[in-house]
Amino acid sequence: MTAPQRQPRPVVLLRPVPGRTAIHELWAGTKLLVVAVIGVLLTLYPGWIPIALVGAFVLITAKIAHIPRGVLPSVPRWLWFLLFLGALTASFAGGSPHLTVASVDFGLGGLLKFLQITVLSIVLLGLGGLVSWTTNVAEIAPAVSKIGRPLRVLRLPIDDYAVALALALRAFPMLIDEFRVLFAARKLRPRDPATTAKERHRRLNREIVDLLAAAVTVALRRADEMGDAITARGGAGQISALPSRPKWADAVAFAAVLVLCAVSVYVEVFTPLATS
Amino acid sequence: MKPDELAHAAIMAALCAATAIIAVVVPFAAGLSVLGTVPMGLLAYRYRFRVLVAATVAGGTIAFLIAGFGGLMTVVNCAYIGGLVGIVKRRGRGLPTITVAALIAGAVFGVLGVGFLMVFYRIRELVFASITANMNGIAAVLERISGLESAAQRLRDDFATVLTFWPLLIIGSSILSIGSVTLIGWWALSRVLSRLSGVPDVHKLDSVDSSEPVGPVPARFHDVRFRYEGAAQDALGPVSLTIDEGEHVAVTGPNGSGKTTLMLVLSGREPTAGSVDRPGAVGLGKAGGTAVVMQHPESQVLGSRVADDVVFGLPPGTATDVDRLLAEVGLTGLAERDTGNLSGGELQRLAVAAALARQPSLLIADEVTSMVDQQGREGLIEVLSGLTKNRRMSLVHITHYNDEAASADRVIDLTGNGGSADNVEMVDTAPAPAATSAQVRRGGSPLLELKGVGHEYGLGTPWASTALQNVDLVVNEGDGVLIHGLNGSGKSTLAWIMAGLLVPTTGSCLLDGEPVSEQVGAVAISFQAARLQLMRGRVDMEIASAAGLDYYDHSQIVAALAMVGLDPAIGLRRIDQLSGGQMRRVVLAGLLARKPRVLILDEPLAGLDAASQRGLLGLLSALRRDAGLTVVVISHDFSGLEELCPRTLHLRDGGVMAAPTTAGGLA
Repeated sequence: MTAPQRQPRPVVLLRPVPGRTAIHELWAGTKLLVVAVIGVLLTLYPGWIPIALVGAFVLITAKIAHIPRGVLPSVPRWLWFLLFLGALTASFAGGSPHLTVASVDFGLGGLLKFLQITVLSIVLLGLGGLVSWTTNVAEIAPAVSKIGRPLRVLRLPIDDYAVALALALRAFPMLIDEFRVLFAARKLRPRDPATTAKERHRRLNREIVDLLAAAVTVALRRADEMGDAITARGGAGQISALPSRPKWADAVAFAAVLVLCAVSVYVEVFTPLATS
Repeated sequence: MKPDELAHAAIMAALCAATAIIAVVVPFAAGLSVLGTVPMGLLAYRYRFRVLVAATVAGGTIAFLIAGFGGLMTVVNCAYIGGLVGIVKRRGRGLPTITVAALIAGAVFGVLGVGFLMVFYRIRELVFASITANMNGIAAVLERISGLESAAQRLRDDFATVLTFWPLLIIGSSILSIGSVTLIGWWALSRVLSRLSGVPDVHKLDSVDSSEPVGPVPARFHDVRFRYEGAAQDALGPVSLTIDEGEHVAVTGPNGSGKTTLMLVLSGREPTAGSVDRPGAVGLGKAGGTAVVMQHPESQVLGSRVADDVVFGLPPGTATDVDRLLAEVGLTGLAERDTGNLSGGELQRLAVAAALARQPSLLIADEVTSMVDQQGREGLIEVLSGLTKNRRMSLVHITHYNDEAASADRVIDLTGNGGSADNVEMVDTAPAPAATSAQVRRGGSPLLELKGVGHEYGLGTPWASTALQNVDLVVNEGDGVLIHGLNGSGKSTLAWIMAGLLVPTTGSCLLDGEPVSEQVGAVAISFQAARLQLMRGRVDMEIASAAGLDYYDHSQIVAALAMVGLDPAIGLRRIDQLSGGQMRRVVLAGLLARKPRVLILDEPLAGLDAASQRGLLGLLSALRRDAGLTVVVISHDFSGLEELCPRTLHLRDGGVMAAPTTAGGLA
């Protein structure tokens, strides 16, 4: 048998990392709310200390959930290159603070700003990743229905949203499979000849409409069949056989996040350590 | 929201989310996000505003789960622009209206963005500081180059000036981007709508709200006829029959005899003539009412988890003994499983369990086995025939397999009850074989060689799963090979590898000594879902495009159609008007016209009725015999494939079970 060829690690969609850890057992609504709260926190106070705290929070959670490094998709080389280029140009900008090494003065201000926004983005991506790596798809819609309950006061049809979300999550992998076949079928076909730029432009337009029309036709057909299946069951109603509600562990998780937020806000508002 | 609204919102949300995720995750595909406006536009074009909102919530959540805040914002943008385009389209307005609307929408979005950045001023300052640092850095480099000092200073000053007017910058770029995306979305939606010539609607069931008490059986049909709107003939009838309480009735008949139409009338559609007497309302999906299980296994199942699917749609607060229902259909202990991993047979049994959760008085099973493998079919029939013994329930089982009707108390044969056979254009058997040329190419030189092929999905991730291991296979010129295996045996992966669409993680797959993945297109493949392979609106255009023929050279298209036994007149038909068997033949016509070295067929018989199956097999056998076509069939069925495929390879759990056997000669 030949050695495995080097292949980039793919992005795996909507499948939790196998295992039942404390993080896996948390209510899905808790995870969604935590991400929302932290998202707001970092948008309001994007300072180094909040970023570092959230980063540590992400790493600790990942540790508890036994998330291996393999979950991360391979970072393509061009992205490394872009990051390097960004860091390089930013570091030429100089600015305080200054670092003096062997009587050569480095202005780190620009580089630090660039790093701050980059690390912030990575931490936010990791936070979102944690939810999808530890949550069963089936738990999402019931949790959204529960979280959205207060919004019923505004006469929003939250239950309809939850049903649509549950059905969309059910249909999503099927549509992705159909997309794969669609693109493969496209790849197998000969391309129309095109020599001038105008012809190539026309061909591109035609191909886009071809793919769109095929995708939409397939989706409509599936939607009609799904509508029949819902009608056959007498319309929408329950979406989950299991109860969906927070437990004690969720209170602990929330407490941890609240402490994190409180410390961050205190540092950013009342101390000289503020960096935002 | 109504069932069809929910379903369309969900599917379009998934479609939009998929586009948004690809746009965010795949490098340099950001432009693709523009296409996400089309599903949302279609939704706004056809349905109420609240359907669009529900789709936005659902699609946004999915995109957020996979691609983070970027994905969420992309879906929101698609819904914003798609909604605008769809609503303007529905009102019948044209380009001027949409242009003005796009400018206003862009300005509104820009103002909202400015408001956001004013509230969250810290993140704004950070982003601006970071970009300024990049600009100043570039300026610092330029300064070192003689002659560019003034340019460096300009860059520094101008960028600072631009940033001081940031609200104008944001509003301006918002108008520009939203405006252009809206116009592209308008173009795409218009083109798609004209391609679909309106929107095809294939839904069958309609929910009927009735305050009458539920009581679907006994149902008495008196001279019932049914004609679809715009059709020239009756699809059903006249029929007179009775479905009594607690009996198991099988309904048989060939395609086009009105079996499905009978199901529609039984489940509440008003007949065109005659009458149906019932003690109460049909009560579709209601407790004690009528339950329907239909053909496509994947579409029947609505929950992501088995237990959730059983209770899906039950009135809130209804208690259900999920485990008992699952045991009754032979799915004991699977309550926690993902429905995505179930086989077709298991999915259909799950659909039956969900139907039983409503304790129906009448269960209609409409061709439930036609897309299920042999093993699954037997299990499903066993479950169905046991149901009426333990429950006070009538079962109407509609089928085109005569053997399945055997377990019923009574059989109703619809043959000759009006209707029209759909396969009139199909030639049942291919032209008579010329026996002399039969053996010429047999045992030719090796064409496709697989050496130690293995494939693992998600390599290096926690989700890694081995689909194939160590498969060795040589397909010779003129060969006919059947690759047989059940669900999850890796046979579809093998088909993709052999067509060059997938590079195996181990081993090699060579065509004429070169990796097949470098010559995609040389090996033709016909997918199970034939519809996905048909990209143009009309048959002749489709064949010209798939085969690379000149559309104006009709003789070639006619020849391609004749090769697969289709009448040239079908060339002017719209793809969406074809039957399943016809679609498969049109795909074959396009593939064969390119004279492929090898033709791979993935489940070529799935979903076809017996006559279409026989016709297709006869055609393929004749092509192999006479034209020397090399054929590889991937299937979970053996029946009828012996002549086409003398060699069989059994796959199980990704490995080859026994050495390929060679049957002697041709039948």
